[in-house]
Formats: sequence, C-alpha cells, structure tokens
Amino acid sequence: MKVIAVIPGFREETRIGETVRGVLTYVAVAVVVDDGSPDQTAERAKEAGAVVLRHRLNRGQGAALKTGTEAALRLGADVVLHVDADGQHDPASIPALLAPISSQEADVVFGSRFLGEAVGIPLSRRLLLAAARTFNALAVGVPRRVTDPQSGFRALTSSAARRIDFHQDRMAHCSEILRLVTRSDLRWREVPVRIRYSEDSLKKGQKPWDAAGIAWQLLLGIFTR
Amino acid sequence: MLIQIILVVSLALALVMTWRRARQDVIANREALAWSVLWVAAAIVVLLPGVTSWLASLVGVGRGVDLVVYASVVALFMLVFKLFIQHQRLERNLTDLVRREALRDLDRPKEDEPKA
Repeated sequence: MKVIAVIPGFREETRIGETVRGVLTYVAVAVVVDDGSPDQTAERAKEAGAVVLRHRLNRGQGAALKTGTEAALRLGADVVLHVDADGQHDPASIPALLAPISSQEADVVFGSRFLGEAVGIPLSRRLLLAAARTFNALAVGVPRRVTDPQSGFRALTSSAARRIDFHQDRMAHCSEILRLVTRSDLRWREVPVRIRYSEDSLKKGQKPWDAAGIAWQLLLGIFTR
Repeated sequence: MLIQIILVVSLALALVMTWRRARQDVIANREALAWSVLWVAAAIVVLLPGVTSWLASLVGVGRGVDLVVYASVVALFMLVFKLFIQHQRLERNLTDLVRREALRDLDRPKEDEPKA
C-alpha cells in the first residue's frame, strides 16, 4: 500500500521541515505544495526530503491541497493523506488514520480532534467549532455525526480521491469535502487524532470572522459551475 | 417637454443599435429582445409617468417613484451577485492554470534547477 502525504504550505519556512520529517517517518513519500510563498518554504521542504511543487501565485489551501492530491495520484498513490504544514497534526496519529483503510473498512478516514486529544484548544475555538458544526449540518448538509467540522487531517483511497472533486480554493474545502464524502456511497469514518495547538499555530490559524467568509464561499460555490 | 424628447430619442437610438448588433450577430436575438423590452418600457415611463403610479398601486407600493427605486435596488443586487459569481469563476480558472503549471514540474522531476 503506497501512501503519499500531501502537505500544502504557505509561508511555512520555519515549520515545514519538521513537519515533513515527522510525516516521512510514517509514509514513503511526502508531496509539499508551496502555495506561492515568498519565503523559503519550498527549499526547506526539499531539504527535508519532500517532492515539491510550486504554485506561482497564492491560490489558497484548498487549491494547493487539490494540486497535491492530483500529484499524489500521478505518482501512483494507493492512499492519499492530507496533513497541515504547520505542525498541528501530530504525525504519530497517521497510523490510526490509515488503519481503517488498510483493513478495508473505510474509503475515507477523517481525523477528529474531538474524539481524540486536543492539546491546548482554547474555549473560544471550541465554541466556534461547535457553531461550525451546526452550520455544516443545517446549511451544508453534513451529518451531525461528524464531530470535527474543520479537520484537514484525513486519508483517502486513490479511488475516493479521484471521485471527490472539490473546488473550494480557500478554507471552505473542509466543509465541501465532508459534504461530498458523506453524500456519496464511499465508506467513511472518523478516528481520534491528536491536534497540537500552539500560540504560533493559533496566530496563523482561523479567526472567528473567517467563519463568515467560509459561509460566503460555500454560498458562491453553489452558484458557480 | 424637452427632457422627454431627449430621452425618447436616446431610447429609440438604443433600440435601433440593439437590433443592428443582433443582425451583426454580436448579441443573440433573445438578448436583443430583452434589451428592447427595457428600452420600450423606459420610453413608456418617460412619455406617460403616470403608469408608474398605476403599477405601484397595482403591487401595493405607495408612489410610482418608490416602485422604481425598489425595482432598481433588486436589479442592482442581482447584478452584483452575478458579478461575484463571474469573479469566482475567474478565480477558479486562474487556479486551474496555476495548478496545471505546478503539475508540469512533476513530469520532469530530475531537472530541479534550470541551467543559468
């Protein structure tokens, strides 16, 4: 089973190296998509041993993720693993994400910080995610069974990755992928993963007002194409 | 009144231009028809301002001028939303282009740096 990790990164020169090395202890190949960073993200990733692709212009996390997924499929991946560049996703959780796929019990596995152990998650973030979950259920149509509405830590079989054709370039891709997967006949499940919150990652992470932007993106997405 | 004459003449010109463009195949006949309806409706309103009041009372709005303002707000809202969507589509096309270029690097993995 050839597992290829996809790591989209923008302005992550300080953290991408460690993330790539961490991921590579669990999987054979890591594809880093440098989303038009003005810094040394691509170089650091290459030094750490990743296959690096570059977006010439910044197109957003969702766009970079899709580019990386496409690359992983072309490189012959059996399983595509999505990991954030900023080190929030603990690589030690990778085997747990892959287990339901290797035992052929699932086609898509989402990592959930709420089933697992969230280190240092602030109350404000917790409330925001609860609101996002309700929004996902009512407006996007993602079942309430999904405990983590914004997890970017997930594994897909190659056939699932080919079928999940997402178009949200920015942050709304999490909700979009959840909707596409839960509405298809793909077998999916959530497993507990460890998410590490640090001051650093919170600073770059999503702000409460980004939620409005995500909702707006999803609305526009309905009318586009 | 002079303003009425100027406006009606302008609208008549717009109507002529619209159908000339349709004959030149610049716009579809259907689109030309839609524009024509707009020009003719505007001309009617200019010549007989009373019709707006009549229309307004028909849909339950106080004055004819108010109806025109309300209708304009709705029309502008629709136009802005359409622009948002066109912009979104443009963004997606741009992403596709950037993606295709990024994936090209995958096909020639050995040549990392172009020779100076």
